[in-house]
Amino acid sequence: MVGAVEGKAGTAKWIRGRSAHLRGALLGLVLERPSHGGELANRLAVRLGETWRIDSNDVYRLLQNLLDEGLIEVHEEPRRDKRPGTRIVYHPTELTSAALTRWIETLLPRETFRLGLHAKLAVAREQDVPGLRSALAQHRRECLTLATMMCPGDGEPGSWGALFMDCTRDGIHQMLQTELDWVNRTLRRIDEYAARAA
Amino acid sequence: MGPGSLSHRRVHASLLSFANVGKRRREGERESVVLEGVSFELGAGGALGIYGQRRSGKSSLLRLAVGLELCDGGSVRFEGHELESMSGGERARLLRGPIALLSADGWLPSPGETVMDHVAMSAGSAGLSLREARRRALAALDRAGVAGVSAEEMTVSLAPDTRARVTLARALVREPRLLAVDEPAPLPSLLERERFCALLREVARERSIALLVASEELSALQGIASLASLSAGELCSTEDRGTVVEFPRRRARAGESP
Repeated sequence: MVGAVEGKAGTAKWIRGRSAHLRGALLGLVLERPSHGGELANRLAVRLGETWRIDSNDVYRLLQNLLDEGLIEVHEEPRRDKRPGTRIVYHPTELTSAALTRWIETLLPRETFRLGLHAKLAVAREQDVPGLRSALAQHRRECLTLATMMCPGDGEPGSWGALFMDCTRDGIHQMLQTELDWVNRTLRRIDEYAARAA
Repeated sequence: MGPGSLSHRRVHASLLSFANVGKRRREGERESVVLEGVSFELGAGGALGIYGQRRSGKSSLLRLAVGLELCDGGSVRFEGHELESMSGGERARLLRGPIALLSADGWLPSPGETVMDHVAMSAGSAGLSLREARRRALAALDRAGVAGVSAEEMTVSLAPDTRARVTLARALVREPRLLAVDEPAPLPSLLERERFCALLREVARERSIALLVASEELSALQGIASLASLSAGELCSTEDRGTVVEFPRRRARAGESP
């Protein structure tokens, strides 16, 4: 299945960079239901929440990226209100589903806080559970690895010089701990859901 | 420790090993899973930190590791010997010798007992003369950073920081090869906490004692080479490679898995 998009997505830029989270999430939304641009921007904002500060101009730019990759296509359809003119509606192509799977399974860059995982969760389908689980487990391992990299300071403990380092390390430990707790809780929720569904 | 036990240690590279360990507990009608499929290896002189929230199974894991409790599935081995096939007496001997457990609920002072008595008693039960036990107790207290003056203090009136150090001295005096620590520093002062954790790591390193530390605070585990997280009875560690799918590759960075 992944092989089908290898040719294009293998060299594609859409899955990388700062906006990869949003491009991936847009694929998921288009796959759920073809929509016009404004509606997609709205759905994205509702799905991911206010913290993402999604700008509809950005959404059009991201849709253009996906169009260039052949991962979505546009259909001109008559307006719903029967007024003259047409509207542009974004539809999935035969590559979309595999591209979404691929994006969900793609490892994220090393960060203490992973918005990318939130974006994946927001649009994942039930069939994506294995990919999600592995993305979450990978993040958990990396949080633990990052924690092992936090070496205790070599300054004299209790000195003014050590104080700043102690505070910084504290902040990072707290962040990593929160992420670990979140990953563990998310995995538990997914497992409990799967157990109920079975 | 005779020459026999040295060669014995060479045969078994891992000091403590958990293989697919499970533990269930009955709570009235309900049976709950405390640990499931827990596997790890801890080499002689190695260190493993386990992070987990309250009730995630950390203390149970430590009790299984030191042989206080036995698992219901899989197996726990210390220096190659399966703990499940040992008698209670044999496991008690391990806990008086090569294995030590530090935990806040292990603190039980007696009336009229000095710090020296408390620590020397621990050495005495290992079959040493009183004189030798006192000598070792003094050395252990010194290493744990308890000043000579407080050796004659009463154990009932110790400050939390000193109490933690005395507990460590009590463990060190038996020259353990595995030190299991449940919540290393439940101390009010952050500085005392960090100093105590640093002391644990240093002592373990200089005496090649393997450390197994569990805490609900990641910061208490800093400086430990491998970490694991325990959630709902399942252990995930930095050592697991897992299934690595694919990076959106630019350049491969050194030290990362493919």
